[in-house]
Amino acid sequence: MSQACAIVGIGQTKHKKRRDDVSLPGLVREAAQRALDDAELTWTDIDAVVLGKAPDPFEGVMMPELSMADALGAAGKPILRVHTAGSVGGSTAIVASNLVRTGQHRRVLTVAYEKQAEGNAQWGLAGGKSGGMGAGGIFAPWMRSFIARTGSPAHIGPMVAVKDRRNAVKNPYAHLQMPDLTIEEVMESPMLWDPIHWHESCPSSDGACAMVMTTEDLASASPRPPAWVLSTAMRSELGMFPGRDPVRPQAGVECAQAVFEAAGITDPLEQIDVSEIYVPFSWYEPMWLEGHDLVGHGEAWKLIESGDTDIGGRFPVNPSGGVLSSNPIGASGMLRFAEAALQVRGMAGEHQVDGATVAYGQAYGGAAQYFAMWVVGSTLDAVAAKG
Amino acid sequence: MSEQPVVAASDSEQPVVMMDYFMHLEYREVVCPIVRRYADALMDGKILGQISPTSGLVYVPPRSYCPVSCEWLGEDHLVELEDHGVVTNFTIVTPVQYYGQEETEPFAKASVLLDGPGGMLGLQDILDLPVDELRVGMRVEAVWLPPEERTKDEIGNRSWGSVDGAIRGWRPTGEPDVPAEQFLDKVY
Repeated sequence: MSQACAIVGIGQTKHKKRRDDVSLPGLVREAAQRALDDAELTWTDIDAVVLGKAPDPFEGVMMPELSMADALGAAGKPILRVHTAGSVGGSTAIVASNLVRTGQHRRVLTVAYEKQAEGNAQWGLAGGKSGGMGAGGIFAPWMRSFIARTGSPAHIGPMVAVKDRRNAVKNPYAHLQMPDLTIEEVMESPMLWDPIHWHESCPSSDGACAMVMTTEDLASASPRPPAWVLSTAMRSELGMFPGRDPVRPQAGVECAQAVFEAAGITDPLEQIDVSEIYVPFSWYEPMWLEGHDLVGHGEAWKLIESGDTDIGGRFPVNPSGGVLSSNPIGASGMLRFAEAALQVRGMAGEHQVDGATVAYGQAYGGAAQYFAMWVVGSTLDAVAAKG
Repeated sequence: MSEQPVVAASDSEQPVVMMDYFMHLEYREVVCPIVRRYADALMDGKILGQISPTSGLVYVPPRSYCPVSCEWLGEDHLVELEDHGVVTNFTIVTPVQYYGQEETEPFAKASVLLDGPGGMLGLQDILDLPVDELRVGMRVEAVWLPPEERTKDEIGNRSWGSVDGAIRGWRPTGEPDVPAEQFLDKVY
């Protein structure tokens, strides 16, 4: 039904609190140029551009895909914009891959970014008024409910925070570098939104991510090993209605079922070598492990406590350091997808999971209502090759 | 529209590379008829919701449709809700000092499940209670603003603002708690 799609170029910026040295177009161009360099291609080789970012009010630049078209080499070429709140980086990558898989274009550049320092997300999310909750305030009650339902011990969230910050030390692009953070320090840091401590919360970052995707025939000429898109899925649901379960959103359950089934994955814990999951607040690691049926109810905290989600563990999660270490919101989802691809290319550097051939990337957004996922492999039959 | 450029106090050693610029925009939104009914009732001290005859779900504020059963809801489906209920979930927020933030001390935001026909109100302020004493299962009642202080300004078609312009918050009634286990699946 569809052609194969290969990821042949991946680039990202150094994520920082402020990137005053570059403009918005300069930021996205930095990531895009690195993706092109990785693929050993030039701007003229690209047929179409797909851009994603979180809602425009975060920087106050409306429809930036139009003003940035020139900086992205897209003058005279199709440029598409994707909007799915925090999951947008993932959705954007999927839209780009579909343009290749359906034969619409042969080489597609996809870019996602956020420049949080040029906006004020707390002020924006509060509608400019006092008493704003911030994103953490919306998610916190759901984490409380998850903890109550599963009996997860209080140190599990802090364990995730420490693991991701230690992983980030191996990733030169990661924003936070906290090699010595301890569980005790996390638990003693200020409680921002009960049960989320300061150190269990993502930073505000400026940053961008980009990928070049292409067809099977063109990928064969690529200088470095490609990652292959084995399956993609997107699902969404309304953010608020009576009877909704935001702790285990049905859209997330069905999205995971769809992406694993399409990739031929029947036992995710055994068949997936490494996962990059959108965890902006520590408790979302166990919540998505259960919410996407990677493990059963009440099992996620045990997996984390035993160290199985560490690099070198049975089911490594967020070896890049994850959203907890870098959060350029619009790019955060694409970073998950791109890090999954880097892993199966064997190009993740210090945070490489040895021998990874199948990787899972996930992003969520809004009121935990938009989901985007993909499974990538080192070969098109990477899942089957596991036997 | 009025605009307020705000220049942060900068270290004179550092060149200014960025200036905060906050804007203020007032606009009027034409609300749909059912939301107008809701707003008018709120000014009279009544909380209106809509109940779906198929799914049995209660929507507050009313929204003219039930997204679960995919059916239209009209005036016949309006129901007056109670102004007391139970805390089903909450968080305690330590305020971040963004521009315009007036809160300085930790404050609670709770979900309240109304008694009687039901209806869930999210992100409600809890009054007259130290935040560390808030519990799931606690019974609360609305503290209405005096009629002359009530406003519809925050009510829009997107169901934002809910009861804020008429109800200051919710305070404990002192009645015995309802067992918290009943509300594990009532997260909003």
